[in-house]
Amino acid sequence: MPQEHFRHIGKSACRRGARDKVTGQAMYVHDLEMPGMLYAKVLLSPHARAEIVSIDLAEAKALPGVKAILTGEDLPYLLGLYMVDKCILARKEVRYQGEPVVAVAAIDQATAKKAIALVKVDYRILPAVLTLDEALEGKILVHQDINQLDYIKNVFFPQPDSNIASWNKTIKGDVDKGFAEADFIVNNEFSLPAVAHAPLETHVAIAKAHPLSKLVEIWSSSQSPFGVRQMLSKAFGISMGDIRVVVPYVGGAFGGKAGIHLEPLVMVLSRAAQGKPVKLIATREEEFNQLPSRAGMRGRVRSGVTNEGKITAVEVTFDWDSGAYADYGVNVGRAATYSGAGPYEIPNIVVNSRTVYTNKVFSTAFRGFGHLETHWVMERQMDLIAQQLGMDPYEFRMKNILHAGSETISGEIITKYSGRPDQCLEAVAKEIGWTGWRSPEARDDAFKTGKVRGKGVAALQKAPAIPSNTSTSAIMQFDDEGNIRLMLGAVDMGQGSNTVMAQIVAEVLGMPLNKVRVIWETDTDKSPYDWSTVASKYTFMGGNAVIRCAQDVLRQMKELAAQVLHCPVDELDHANEQIFHRQHTHKAIAYKDLGMGYTYENGNGIGGPIIGRGVYMAEGLTYLNPQTGQGLPALDWTFGAHGVEIEIDVETGDITVLKIASAFDVGKVINTKLCEGQIIGGVLQGLGSAIMEGHKFSPDGRLLNPSFTDNKIPTAKDIPTQFVPILVENPQADGPYGARGVGEHPMISVPSVIASAVYDALGINFYELPLSPEKIALTIAKREADLKGQQSALQKE
Amino acid sequence: MLSEFNVVKPQTVEEALTYLERKDHITKVLAGGTDLLVILRRSLKMPDLLLDIKGIEETKRLEFTSGVGLFVGASVTVNQVADSEIIQRKYQALGQAAQTLGSYQVRNRATLVGNICNASPGADLAAPLLVYEANVHIASKTGRRTIPLTEFFTGVKKTALASNELVVGISLPDPSSGDQSVYLRQARIKGHDLGIVGVAVRLTAYQRFLVAISAVAPTPVRLFALEESLNDQWNSPEIAVFAGEEIQMLIHPISDVRASAEYRLHIAGVLVKRAVALLTMTGGT
Amino acid sequence: MKVSLTCRVNGEGVCGTIEPSMTLLNFLRHDLKLFGTKEGCGEGECGACTVIMNGVAVNACLVLAVEAENTEITTVEGLSCGGELSTLQSEFIKQDALQCGFCTPGMLMSARALLDRTSDPTETEMKEAIAGNLCRCTGYVSILAAIASTAKTEREGEGRK
Repeated sequence: MPQEHFRHIGKSACRRGARDKVTGQAMYVHDLEMPGMLYAKVLLSPHARAEIVSIDLAEAKALPGVKAILTGEDLPYLLGLYMVDKCILARKEVRYQGEPVVAVAAIDQATAKKAIALVKVDYRILPAVLTLDEALEGKILVHQDINQLDYIKNVFFPQPDSNIASWNKTIKGDVDKGFAEADFIVNNEFSLPAVAHAPLETHVAIAKAHPLSKLVEIWSSSQSPFGVRQMLSKAFGISMGDIRVVVPYVGGAFGGKAGIHLEPLVMVLSRAAQGKPVKLIATREEEFNQLPSRAGMRGRVRSGVTNEGKITAVEVTFDWDSGAYADYGVNVGRAATYSGAGPYEIPNIVVNSRTVYTNKVFSTAFRGFGHLETHWVMERQMDLIAQQLGMDPYEFRMKNILHAGSETISGEIITKYSGRPDQCLEAVAKEIGWTGWRSPEARDDAFKTGKVRGKGVAALQKAPAIPSNTSTSAIMQFDDEGNIRLMLGAVDMGQGSNTVMAQIVAEVLGMPLNKVRVIWETDTDKSPYDWSTVASKYTFMGGNAVIRCAQDVLRQMKELAAQVLHCPVDELDHANEQIFHRQHTHKAIAYKDLGMGYTYENGNGIGGPIIGRGVYMAEGLTYLNPQTGQGLPALDWTFGAHGVEIEIDVETGDITVLKIASAFDVGKVINTKLCEGQIIGGVLQGLGSAIMEGHKFSPDGRLLNPSFTDNKIPTAKDIPTQFVPILVENPQADGPYGARGVGEHPMISVPSVIASAVYDALGINFYELPLSPEKIALTIAKREADLKGQQSALQKE
Repeated sequence: MLSEFNVVKPQTVEEALTYLERKDHITKVLAGGTDLLVILRRSLKMPDLLLDIKGIEETKRLEFTSGVGLFVGASVTVNQVADSEIIQRKYQALGQAAQTLGSYQVRNRATLVGNICNASPGADLAAPLLVYEANVHIASKTGRRTIPLTEFFTGVKKTALASNELVVGISLPDPSSGDQSVYLRQARIKGHDLGIVGVAVRLTAYQRFLVAISAVAPTPVRLFALEESLNDQWNSPEIAVFAGEEIQMLIHPISDVRASAEYRLHIAGVLVKRAVALLTMTGGT
Repeated sequence: MKVSLTCRVNGEGVCGTIEPSMTLLNFLRHDLKLFGTKEGCGEGECGACTVIMNGVAVNACLVLAVEAENTEITTVEGLSCGGELSTLQSEFIKQDALQCGFCTPGMLMSARALLDRTSDPTETEMKEAIAGNLCRCTGYVSILAAIASTAKTEREGEGRK
């Protein structure tokens, strides 16, 4: 693509909505109040698995101010994005500690809380399934009725009479042949725990659902207003025409607010309360304990490698500890089959990805959609193979990395427009001054000082995990002053999509940025459709839709101007907010005189108002072959890499990240500051997973850390000394100005690169996350004790 | 969401004690509120009355009297302690510990006395107060009494305070010049976190060691046995290493959601070694 | 039994009749309809509810409204003056020190309180001042840059406090 001078593309335009946010004017669903609004509270199950014997609501019902109380028995509906396995409130059985059992709507929060405290539930505790191995053994079924559950066939594969919600596979080439060709085989197992999204705004929803009018209105802190509309229709059998979902500002989401969560519950409560608006705000405890997390996962991988360092075969099984309900978890499991091997050429591969039910809080989409987890497994494996080869891990990766002409594990051919993982890896290695692993002698010398340093590199890839027919759309219209109002279906939850879209419109139309207004609130009745704001797809898809929308407006303006100026449309050009004749430039009409139609001097009006539209539907994507996982699922690949230098206090186990360089081939940067913001924020979230985050469960399946007191996320004191975001630009030919997405990618491979640097520093490999000070310190202490024991044994001889 | 209770704000200790005498009310003392409001939010049973003591002049005093010592009134905040020049100069470990408690916002409200009365096994300020041989000043209708802090903690979140008694402040004797102390703490993250282990070590001008530790026992504790061993070998070049190993024989921490017993033992050893090394500038890292 | 409350919020005298158990956070939001201050956890861990009370930054979720009797409270709504953004708010926008914006009001108040007590904060002091304000989006770098650039502007006698 030729080097163009852009007016807005590539510039760091100020973030839309920032003024509202810094003045406290931005209204989130947390802040919304409506006349007559009731407040809801839920009662959570104290047990991981139990039969609900009886529920006594008498006292709670009698409390003045209580307007509705519901239990699972009142709600014979089943929900599920892919596996229809979940009740709105537990019926007959609770399947995780934290599952909502009873819900109350009352005149204020205090009354609702009191009412919940008056509810008496009698449980018969049942033995629970709490680990992957217990679940796979299948002696106890989390869903006794798994064989009867409805699900999307040929995409997900629940196994009968088991706890496997779906077993997805990729089979490419011939692994037996591949292993036979290998000079040696490396086998390893890695794991990582469930992790909380921890958005600052907890889940919250308001519903207004009059029992007689059928109309349902929902306000939700959600990434998926159109998805919520569809799911509510499906679950309750009501027409989508009667459902409206509104999303104002959203206080963070990270995948946890995709799909459907509190909305069905507030809807049924509102119906039960004669249509009064009902608001349910998750407390922070409920955010951790009731609402879903990222899944825990265990990966067992076997790799065949030649002595020269070429991978000949990989066999990997990802087992996802996905909790009590399938939600998005099964799709995360599925995505691992076409993307779960890292950005490498692997001629022969079998991927088994099993989404497994356990009696714990269930999992949903989380930034990275399984890729942080699979890259923990695969990037660690790359390091371990390199160690066995005696090869530089950077060189080993470069030897196998995807390039133009490579075939991915789902059979897609990478082209010169797909992006350059090798350039990303090279850039980060250079930034941290990578010269290979240090020698054991250097490590030992450093160890004596008590503080050791290490460097590491890791690569990554992700394409959006979306249905093959995903689409998005945009509408725009003028006002008399020539301002544009742009309406989008995606939700700007802080990633900056509204800003990016405005820049693109302003670029196409050659307008000042401040004349392009993006309508903030997403309303399924008024906004054009977008499937869901997830998957790092919106810059790509929305950008294309918005370009088409702006071009549609240009075309309409030119057609109108051609009539007025008496010339063919193709002789018209646009600049300075005018349509003008290429040659006779004085023949010009301003946008503002066309946008609302043109009015002649004699009063005749024609051609307006001009309404622009643009749509983008994912092109050419296919379903995956149910047996082999082959197909074309990837809209666009974004490749990346991290390079890190860390310092470890060998006695306390504290890791300090001195420098982390993170490179992503984004195709074309639309807004540098926003892009860097996504990178720095995502890398820190990845560091959280690497060093401190994780759900902890008691032996009977209770969540032990449902609060920020013990579920720690990074603070300002936990940041690396230096972040170096690097933006690589090899254009995506079908991307808007060549751009690709990058929202999720910064998190991926961060834990892997930290573990890589830990190995460099200590010569110790870690296989489980998080790399807490405790884990590091005790592992070192054990090694030192073992060494001492060996030495004294030697001395005795 | 908190359920209903009433709040009163007496202006004198006597007035406060009158409320505490009442048997028909469950009364809780409100100082900084940073522990109490969290407890109330998480529990179903509410007190009838909160007694806001921040109106009582006596409790606001933060005073040092040469030759006598330091008095920290019950309303004095942790940031006031952290910012105090006299505490930074004379009671170093206390100033250091004050800086590690919670976040800056929490420290603007939390009080030193509140931290002690909450009596968490990991109370951040307990170890420094113990090595400075702090005394607790308690008032009741029957009069005033003073007990050493070592006798104040009686169990996990339990103190020697009766329900009709009020702590008005804590006093620390004046250490002589040449007295030095250090506070070291390990947490899970670099940001605000409850301590996994907190260690205070003091070396007096007469080369006497005092050591206290939190989060490894049901209460914060003075380690008299360790002090004896250290005092016996105060001029040994290996004293820091010795201290780090010895302490691991003397404590029996438990595992909890924050850390395992094994790590607590290990890190207690590391922190004591480092603290002793800092004070003696010998051995250890 | 309700009690009366008198205090000053953002420079204006305020009166209310409230339950004694009401937190300052709920008083600001539900009674005064000042929704800028947010609830992120209700337990003093996240800092989203940070306001300035008698000159110091506090978590409003851990302060009872009655404890604010006769105090001066500043919330995010009180930062701008005469219809203009303060330097601090402008710098937050310029440095892109926000994404979803939910932590932003509390973050601004912690920053304001810091700059009120020291005009030339070190990096350590800045981090300490905002460590109690959790942000899941930005990674904090741009926030620290905004505080530093505000400090510089204010030191040079420019801009609006």
